[in-house]
Amino acid sequence: MIEATSSLVLQWFGEDAAFWFDYLTNGKHMAWYASVRFTLFAAVFGAICAVVFGLLGAAARRSGFVPLALIGRVYITMIRGIPDVLFFLFFPLAFEQAVEFFMARQHCPEALATVTGWPPCDAAQWFLTTTDYLLLASVSLGIVYGSFAANVIHGAMDAVPESQLEAARAYGFSERAVFWRFRVRQMWVYALPGLSNVWMLLLKATSFLSLLQIADIVLWAERLGAPNYIARVGLVHPDWRWKYYLVLFLFFILMTYLSEQLFNRLQARASRGMALNN
Amino acid sequence: MSVLTEHAVVQDIIVLAKPALFNIYFALASIPIGFPLAMLLALGKNSRSAFIAYPARLYIYAFRGSPLFIQFFMVYSIMLAFNISHWKPMGIDHVVLHPLFLGPLVLILNTAAYAAEIFAGAMKAVPKSQIEAAHAVGMSRWQTFRSVIWPNTLRLAWPAYTNEMVFLFHATAIVYFTLPVINEQKDLMNKAGELFERDYNVFLHFSVAGLYFLVISIAIFALCGVVQRRLNRHLALASNDGANAIKPIKFNPGYLR
Repeated sequence: MIEATSSLVLQWFGEDAAFWFDYLTNGKHMAWYASVRFTLFAAVFGAICAVVFGLLGAAARRSGFVPLALIGRVYITMIRGIPDVLFFLFFPLAFEQAVEFFMARQHCPEALATVTGWPPCDAAQWFLTTTDYLLLASVSLGIVYGSFAANVIHGAMDAVPESQLEAARAYGFSERAVFWRFRVRQMWVYALPGLSNVWMLLLKATSFLSLLQIADIVLWAERLGAPNYIARVGLVHPDWRWKYYLVLFLFFILMTYLSEQLFNRLQARASRGMALNN
Repeated sequence: MSVLTEHAVVQDIIVLAKPALFNIYFALASIPIGFPLAMLLALGKNSRSAFIAYPARLYIYAFRGSPLFIQFFMVYSIMLAFNISHWKPMGIDHVVLHPLFLGPLVLILNTAAYAAEIFAGAMKAVPKSQIEAAHAVGMSRWQTFRSVIWPNTLRLAWPAYTNEMVFLFHATAIVYFTLPVINEQKDLMNKAGELFERDYNVFLHFSVAGLYFLVISIAIFALCGVVQRRLNRHLALASNDGANAIKPIKFNPGYLR
């Protein structure tokens, strides 16, 4: 299909356009375009994790059980003191080592006792595939931005009118039912603006994927832009990295713009019939 | 004493002390220039002239809407592209391409956008009545800005700007993921990564690096709290007399960063 389009471009727009079309659709560039799937997967799956962790964190924070409330409080405030990229790198590495620890306990407990390096023995080495790293990275994003989300959700839960909850109690709902079926059910519309901001932050943080050796759009931009020298042809192009990074810069701005539009629609839809501005 | 210094955590704290200075340097070099730039951008965003407001809005949107990670790569590669044609002939290539120059440069560009969004919001939240009062007593536009709008903006924006400064400090963690590391000029993340590659003890090294970030973040919060109290000292006095307490004006941005 690319060949057919290429000849059409040649017919309609001339040789220059056809050259650039061929250049921009060669194998490496197609791999670059395809690698957007990693970014999008990490963003979407990470966001789902973040909402789940956020909900659990906010629920823990409001718990009457003191240790649980303390855990929730620490989880919500941790992101204030420690950079996201540190967590982002720490969690996959720590998880990998924890798994390898249990593997070593199975395969070579004697080596584990006198451990000097890591992993203790070859049998206990876990080779992670790109998919594994991607899943770990997404959960990692979920933990970090779940902390932001927990803060937002905690605030939104406070914004739910107390009278609605009193009405629920008057009808005889248990405290647990009041919490999950009324407070959590009603808080989304108040949480949406904050969650939209968390989504933007998470989307931007997906650019860190290349730090975990995932061949995402950032890594491909680096590869494609580096000075390209082929012995047969000579210098194909000098250092073009800035052009590729500029494209990524614009790509992320576009994604932010699209998300903003989507969240505006969502907010308008969610607040139908709600008196929010009183 | 030697038992203490031989402890792995203490040793890590000692080893990571110098790298922490690099993070502090990046933050300290960026904030004093980022702050006035952000104020100018905020004024531009709220300007009535479309020729000023539009570029300012565009800049703020672009730098808030894209990852700092990409901004680092982009600015660095652009600077590299100008190297042969500009920096080398001018003889400033070793300065302009140095991470200790480029790091603060990108951080300034980034924090100016985030802080400008905060300041622009706070500027809009300054009560109209106060500005009208300033006009009524015959203040010029500059006097109004100088003695009414600016102090109020700063006061309103300070809690959010404190957050921004802490986030900026956290953002210094990715400087050396994107810029070349020269000899022993390493920051916390870099050094922690190096220690990790030596003995694969991820829990120890990353925790100690995290501890440094945590302690310095708390120090920034504490310092900014002192400034906050100083900015609001007249309000604290006013709110003491019960019924006549002045209701504090507030600016709560709906975003964390």
